[in-house]
Amino acid sequence: MRGFRRLIIPYLIWGVIFILIPMLMIVFYAFVEKGNSVLTMRFTLDNFLRFFEDSIFIEVLLRSLKIAFITTIICILIGYPTAYIIAKLKPASQNICVLLITLPMWINMLVRTYAWRGILLESGLSPEMKVYIGMVYNFLPFMVVQIYTTLSKMNKDYLIAATDLGCNSRQAFMKVTLPLSIPGIISGITLVFLPAVSSFFIPKLLGGGSFVLIGNLIETYFLTAGDWNFGAAISLIMTIVILISMFITKRFDHEKEVDNA
Amino acid sequence: MKRLVLMVLSLVMVICLGGCSGQKTSDVDPIEEYGCDVLNVYNWGEYIGEDVLSNFESEYNVRVNYSLFDSNEAMYTKLQGGSHYDILVPSDYMIQRLIAEDMLQPLDYSVITNADLLYEGTLNKAYDLENEYSIPYFWGNVGIVYDKTLVDQADVESEGWDVFQNTKYKGMIYMYDSERDAFMVALKALGYSMNTDDEAQIEEAYQWLVKVQETMDPSYVTDEAIDGLIYGEKAMGFMYSGDAAYILSQNENMAYFVPEEGTNIWTDAMVIPANADCPKLANEFINYILTYEASYDNSYTVGYASSNAEVLEDMSSEGGDYYENDAYLARTDNDNDEVFENNEVMREMLSELWIKVKNS
Repeated sequence: MRGFRRLIIPYLIWGVIFILIPMLMIVFYAFVEKGNSVLTMRFTLDNFLRFFEDSIFIEVLLRSLKIAFITTIICILIGYPTAYIIAKLKPASQNICVLLITLPMWINMLVRTYAWRGILLESGLSPEMKVYIGMVYNFLPFMVVQIYTTLSKMNKDYLIAATDLGCNSRQAFMKVTLPLSIPGIISGITLVFLPAVSSFFIPKLLGGGSFVLIGNLIETYFLTAGDWNFGAAISLIMTIVILISMFITKRFDHEKEVDNA
Repeated sequence: MKRLVLMVLSLVMVICLGGCSGQKTSDVDPIEEYGCDVLNVYNWGEYIGEDVLSNFESEYNVRVNYSLFDSNEAMYTKLQGGSHYDILVPSDYMIQRLIAEDMLQPLDYSVITNADLLYEGTLNKAYDLENEYSIPYFWGNVGIVYDKTLVDQADVESEGWDVFQNTKYKGMIYMYDSERDAFMVALKALGYSMNTDDEAQIEEAYQWLVKVQETMDPSYVTDEAIDGLIYGEKAMGFMYSGDAAYILSQNENMAYFVPEEGTNIWTDAMVIPANADCPKLANEFINYILTYEASYDNSYTVGYASSNAEVLEDMSSEGGDYYENDAYLARTDNDNDEVFENNEVMREMLSELWIKVKNS
């Protein structure tokens, strides 16, 4: 077994070059003053103060969180029943259903969002509604597949046992199926919430441009305004917000496990 | 198995055909002649004629590595990140910035003999007074594109840029999602210079844009406006003349108007970065683009006004592809028209104000 450990080395190198170093660069940029070279750099907290001093940035951050949150809730509400129904089908039909749900993901997300632009063109919906539709459409498969995977792996004997012990089917679902599928929901939340909170082309394409989210803000500061330091600070704030929300969901996960035990 | 062999064989044949046919046309050894045989070109998306690159490749017996950018700033970021290119096609203000930062090299006019063919109206602009570093590729201005059947021509012509605040057209307009162009329109509407750094004037322009956002329900887009106007998603927007020319050629209800209060005269020009690997061939490429055939192919395909005087004349006169198309050939006789100048402080300030406009 020991020899296999070396196989981790390529990934380690890859991780350091493409994940760790860029992260450190973001942190570095966020804490230095704009426009000075490496030799004369001065550390500062101004980039962060600027973010919290102006209500507009907080507003954008809160809006992004709100949209990501509502998107996630809708994905659970639609995704759970879908996954549940699929898990009850015959194995062959299950495979076909999962295939059908993941099939659109083979096509580039950008192309599909453009298609929605055309579909919603004449709909008369508000930009906000359009963004929700685009978001739920794009992220729903992640939720369905995650929940389906946990549900299909569930040992069906638990359900028989529950019925034996006098549960009706509703009780069996509430006491057995739902708690056991929590891990699937949690990983579904992670897979939906995180990309949703930072997505920037869906609001850009479907929201008619007046719908600025935190991802658009970061894009603007890096590309148009050319202020990498402030852009890096926003990215860092966003990373922290994501870490906190991940921490909260994980906590929730653990509590459930303790409950079950 | 038999089928597999057949497939491999035919594949080899195709590759061989492609390879052989490329070599036949020129006997020049590019390595000997130019020191390299690959040219890295970095240009805007949808900005070149269909056969221009392949013709250049076979004529000079070289290969062109063609990459695309969608904004000057994105290009600049890539360049600063250490990427090597031999040819760039940035806009005027970006060229000014690149010159100021010593990132370009002077052109070799002993190679670029076709410079005589250039249209004089595009030369010796403020961003590069002697055209020491840049040769115009496409040029034009910014104007109002509107649907004659939905928008009253008299309104557009009497109100100028202020037509974007006429509530008769609420919900029917596009705003170009770029702070530079949006503030240009606002400043011109108010009668100021688009290169102003007077804070009171900028504040006034900001309020002008906020009023548009609050009363007109505009849609903020960039290139999406092209299809949007052709297919009638909205009735009016301000556009670059080249895009406008294309829209006019696709939808006959569309018209183009440039307000008297002035507009932005822009140029996208070819430059050679200081760190180019293949400057000799790059000069040859610029010279090639200036030929009548390449310029014609470019302008014909893309719809932007050529920098080649003869192509310009042929396209806009009777029988040309852009005859009576108001957007193709930009005016050069209005004193209110300006060239955009690079200003770092302003750029940042406008970006932030623009976010606020869209959020108001």
